[in-house]
Amino acid sequence: MSFTEMWLAAASSLRASPLRTFLTMLGIWIGVASIIIIVAMGQGGQKAVISTIASTRLQNTIQILPQEIVEPGLPQPGQVLSFQTSDLQLAQQFSGVASVSYSLYGQATVGYHSHTLNASVQAGPAYLNDLAHFTVISGHMFTSTDVLAHRQVALVSQSLAGQLFGHESPIGRVILVGGYPLQVIGETISSQFDLMSRFLGSNYLYLPSTTCRDLFPWWGISEMDVQVSPGASVGQVSQRLVTALNIHAHNAQAFEDASGLWLGLEQTVRKVSTILTLTIGSVAGIALLVGGIGVMNIMLVSVTERTQEIGIRMSLGATRRAVLLQFLTEAVMITTGGGLLGVVLGVGASASIRWFTGFPASVSWQAAGVGFLFSMVIGVACGLYPANKAARLNPIDALRYE
Amino acid sequence: MGGTQTVTGDCALIEVSHLDKVYSVGDDKVTVLQNINLTVRAGEFVSIMGPSGSGKSTLMHILGCLDVPSRGQYQLHGQAVESLTPWELAHIRNQEVGFVFQNFYLLPRMTALRNVELPMVYAGISPVDRRRRASELLHQMGLSDRFQHRPNTLSGGQKQRVAIARALANNPSVLLADEPTGALDTKTGEEIMGMFQALNQGGVTVVVITHDAKVAHYARRTVHLLDGKIVGEEDLR
Ligand SMILES: Nc1ncnc2c1ncn2[C@@H]1O[C@H](COP(=O)(O)OP(=O)(O)OP(=O)(O)O)[C@@H](O)[C@H]1O
Ligand SMILES: [Mg+2]
Repeated sequence: MSFTEMWLAAASSLRASPLRTFLTMLGIWIGVASIIIIVAMGQGGQKAVISTIASTRLQNTIQILPQEIVEPGLPQPGQVLSFQTSDLQLAQQFSGVASVSYSLYGQATVGYHSHTLNASVQAGPAYLNDLAHFTVISGHMFTSTDVLAHRQVALVSQSLAGQLFGHESPIGRVILVGGYPLQVIGETISSQFDLMSRFLGSNYLYLPSTTCRDLFPWWGISEMDVQVSPGASVGQVSQRLVTALNIHAHNAQAFEDASGLWLGLEQTVRKVSTILTLTIGSVAGIALLVGGIGVMNIMLVSVTERTQEIGIRMSLGATRRAVLLQFLTEAVMITTGGGLLGVVLGVGASASIRWFTGFPASVSWQAAGVGFLFSMVIGVACGLYPANKAARLNPIDALRYE
Repeated sequence: MGGTQTVTGDCALIEVSHLDKVYSVGDDKVTVLQNINLTVRAGEFVSIMGPSGSGKSTLMHILGCLDVPSRGQYQLHGQAVESLTPWELAHIRNQEVGFVFQNFYLLPRMTALRNVELPMVYAGISPVDRRRRASELLHQMGLSDRFQHRPNTLSGGQKQRVAIARALANNPSVLLADEPTGALDTKTGEEIMGMFQALNQGGVTVVVITHDAKVAHYARRTVHLLDGKIVGEEDLR
């Protein structure tokens, strides 16, 4: 009996009870699909976080931060929390440094007519959109001149604009921030999947750094952004500059280059998300195993129900091997069918999640392949016992079975 | 092996000597067949007669290698069956024996044509060849217009003719029929027996099991079975 014929025979016998076949497939189907979806979500989440971290490190730019104390909580005595103006001046004169700017972060109330809202303020140089990852969708970004001139301009995030101005264009409107009037010159959206906005909300206000200093002189400068001159080594400049700043602050651990921090963070994110994916993935694996037991159960029922058929086939010359293969093929067909549907559902669901929520779920073809192969293996593993049971029947007992 | 036509008249096809069949039911041992000695030559038409429970079906199952004897020897085509492996027994059922049962035992989900093809599937015959042969046989049985019918859309007589076609598929050495007319009315039963007779005249060895004397009369030789023992034999022609 050829391979094709065996598959056709198995298919026709599965077609005889379509509902049962479908329900048996369901376990495998859901198991394989959930493995694919979980891996897609896990890897997608990991990629999103890491790309957020990675893209924060801009070409030829050094981001220097006050060094984090390992134990979070209250500031330690002597801990440096922000940059002084003299730190900026020092950096400005440093060899290999093209320009120095700084960023500030804080919360402020934003008023427009009778509305008052809380927003996260991010202030920085003219390339703040790269540092803070946003795209201007209408209007324009503030320029270096705006920064130098302390212009009272601002960009608002789409959600903030919506809440303040409704459906009307925000461009040109004057809002009150910390009591000062600012003119809105642009509207922004996040340029990548923004994990943080899920927790912090997405009301952002972007200002030139100088303007922000005028408005909130008591805010510390929390980040120094140094552009390295063309030809100078970013690593060397960073190392020497951090040392010089530390000496200036009389504190060996005052500042650090953010890239070290990002690397550590990246590793942690990778580790955590891999562990999570494996944990949830193995739960899905258990689902697949339960599905396999379902297949075994149905095959056992099927062998019992079809005992007389087996007897008839044996009376016509079916060998044990033929009977074994018949039932094994049916089991493998159920699980392979389930696996195939699982791949389709898993890939489809991952794509839909990406499409509808913007979460960068990334389908892993390895996960799909492994899920599919695993479904075949489960078919063999769980079909073997019932199939063997069928094959070992005594011909006359099978024939006389009622 | 196989082709009945190649076997000459006097060669012993089935040779059973001192055969016993004992079943154990719980602690009891039930002797169903006792000291059976039987020879069937190629080309013969033999009927085995006896009342219900006398062991006719049991004997037929042993003759067809569906079951094994408890004691004694059975040689089919000169081959001692006791020493064969399950694989070899399956091969014999496929090639040497064609079964016809009282309840037809057709596979319900398959068409008449597929049912007839089945023994040839297990013989490894190509789809084209076995389709041709199955069509031929169904045609021969007068079922030319019933190829695609499933068993539940066939009459009893038609089902039995499909079963006979299936039994003949691999050109067996012997046709073993267990009460082939038992589920049919008198007229259809006569038709079926006529078919066996015609097949026998064409050279096929036939063993028919029955409790009906009229059916037994189609055979040239009748063996009487009572309580698991052969109690007599008569040559009718
Ligand atoms: N597996 C078994 N275990 C125990 N006893 C059995 C078994 N199979 C058959 N028998 C017994 O063997 C005896 C003969 O059975 P068999 O089926 O051969 O009778 P039969 O002559 O074909 O009868 P009928 O004409 O009613 O078909 C019966 O008494 C039956 O109870
Ligand atoms: Mg019987």
